[in-house]
Amino acid sequence: MVDQTLFWAAAAVYSVVIFFLAWLGYKKTKCNDDYMLAGRNVHPVVLGLSYGATFISTSAIVGFGGYAAKLGLGIIWLVMLNILVGVLIAFIVFGKPTRRIGKKLGIMTFPDLLGKVYKSDFMQYVTGLIILVGMPLYSSAVLIGGGRFIEQVLDVPYLWAIIGLTVITAAYVVFGGLIAVMYTDALQGSLMLFGMSAIMIITLSLVGGLDGFQALTDMSHLVPTGLASTGMTGWTSFPELGSATWYTLVTTIIMGVGIGVLAQPQLAVRFMTAKDGKALNRAIPVGVIFILITTGVAYTMGALTNVYFHDHFGKISVEMTGNVDNIVPLFIDTAMPEWLVVMFVLALLAAAMSTMSSLFHVMGTAAGHDIWVHLRRSNFFPAGLRGSDEDASKLRVNKIGTFIMIAVSLGLAFIMPGDIIARATAMFMGLCAAAFLPAYTVAVFSKNPSLLGAKASLVTGGVAWGIWTVFVHQAESSVLRVSELITGNPSVLEFPWTVVDSLFIALPLSVIAMIVGMLIERKRAPATAEG
Amino acid sequence: MLGIDDPWILAGYALCFISTAIGIVYGILKWNEV
Repeated sequence: MVDQTLFWAAAAVYSVVIFFLAWLGYKKTKCNDDYMLAGRNVHPVVLGLSYGATFISTSAIVGFGGYAAKLGLGIIWLVMLNILVGVLIAFIVFGKPTRRIGKKLGIMTFPDLLGKVYKSDFMQYVTGLIILVGMPLYSSAVLIGGGRFIEQVLDVPYLWAIIGLTVITAAYVVFGGLIAVMYTDALQGSLMLFGMSAIMIITLSLVGGLDGFQALTDMSHLVPTGLASTGMTGWTSFPELGSATWYTLVTTIIMGVGIGVLAQPQLAVRFMTAKDGKALNRAIPVGVIFILITTGVAYTMGALTNVYFHDHFGKISVEMTGNVDNIVPLFIDTAMPEWLVVMFVLALLAAAMSTMSSLFHVMGTAAGHDIWVHLRRSNFFPAGLRGSDEDASKLRVNKIGTFIMIAVSLGLAFIMPGDIIARATAMFMGLCAAAFLPAYTVAVFSKNPSLLGAKASLVTGGVAWGIWTVFVHQAESSVLRVSELITGNPSVLEFPWTVVDSLFIALPLSVIAMIVGMLIERKRAPATAEG
Repeated sequence: MLGIDDPWILAGYALCFISTAIGIVYGILKWNEV
C-alpha cells in the first residue's frame, strides 16, 4: 500500500498531461490519414520512444519479470533479441521498405499493406480477421498486468482497476487517433526510462550491490524440486540443454517473443508514420537504449527478487505468491521507498496504456478500415446500412470499431486465468510470426510478390499454429482442454514435442507454403505467356 | 565474474551491450544520410 494522497496527486497531474496531449491529437486530426498514421510526419525521438513504449508493456515488466524470478537470468537472451531483432533488424531491414511502400501505395494499416501489395482483398480480410481473433489475447494480458498492479499497490478491487485503466486509454485513442497515441507514448516512454533506472539502482542497493549476483548463485540449492527435476539449475545459469525448462525458456519465452516481434501489426504501422528514411535512422539510438534499460532492468530485477525475499522472508519469489504475475508487484510494494512506488506505478500504468492504446488502435482500424469499409460495398448489406464513402464516415467507422474491440479486450481480461500474462503475449507473437512474417517479408522485398504463396503461407501458418496450440503444446492445450475432450490426452504427441512452441512448427511450415506457392505460380506464368 | 559462472548468461549480457552500441553508432553515422 502506498500513501493514497501522494499517489492520487501524482496521478491527477499525470492524467491532466495525458488529456492535454489527447486534446492536442484531437485538434490536429483533420482527416482520416491523421487518425490512422499521425499524418506520416512524426519526429524521430517521438518515433523511437513510441516504438519502445508500444513494444514494452506491463507484459514485459510484470509478466516476463515474473518469469525471470521463476526461471532466472537466462531470459537475458530475450533482451538481446529484443534489441537486435526488435529494433536493429526491424528498423534497418523492415522499417525502411515498409515506410517507402506504405507511402507509395497510400497504405493505412498492416492488413492494408498485405492487401495492396498482393492486390488481394482476401489477404486484407484474413489478416484483419487474425488480428481481431489473436490480438485481444495480448491486449487483455497487458490489461491484466496493469490491473494486478493497481490491485496490489492501491488496494483498489481488481474489477475497478481494469475498468478504470480501459476507460482512460479508450478515451484518448478514440478521440485523438494515432497522433494522441504517439504523443502520450513519448511521455510514457520517458517516464518508464526514469522509473526503471531508479528501480535498478535501488534493487542493487537492497541486495548488497553487485554481490547480489553471488548471493543469487549461492541460492541454487533452493530451486523448487518440480523445476529442478525438469532441468532448472539455478537463477544465474542456463537450464540443462534439452530439458523441459530449457525448451520453455528458449522456444517460448526467448524465441517466441524475440522473433515474433518482427511481424507485429502495431509496430509495422509505426514505420509508416515516419516522415522519411532519415527519421527511421535517427530513431534507432533512442529505441535500443530504451529497450536495454527497460527490459534489461525488468529481468535482472526479477531474478534478484529471490535474494531480497530470501533475506527478508526466508522464501524464494515463487513461494511468496502463488501467481507468477504477482511477484514483481509484490516486490515493488514491499521493497521500494514510497516515492518510487508511486513513480513506478505511474511508469507501469504508462507502459500498459502505451501498448494498449496501439493495440486498440490496430484492432479498431482492422475492424473499421480493413473489414467494414470493404465489406459494406458487398451485397451482404442493404443500401441503408452501408454509410457513405466520405472521409468523415470512414473516421467514424474506425472510432466505432476501436470502441467495440476495447469492450472485447475488457471482457477477456475478466475470464483469463492466473500466470497468463507472459503466456498470452508469447501466444499472440507466435501467431503473428507464423501467419504474417513470410508474407510481410516477401511483400517488402520482392519485386514480383506471389499471391498464391502469400495466401498459402498466411493460411498454413495460422492453421498450423492453431492446431499445434490446441493439440500438442501442453502449456496451452492442457488449459484449453479441447484435445483432452476429443482424444483423452492433453497432448497427442510425446516429449519433447509437448514443450516445443507452436512458432517452431508453424513458422517453418508457413515458409515452405510460401516457397511452394511461389514455385507453382512461376511454373504457371511462362505457360500462360507462351500459350 | 560478478558471481555469475555460466558463460551463457555472461554472453547474453555482453551481447545486449554490444547490440545497443551498434544501434547507437549506426544511428549517429547515418544521422544525415534515404
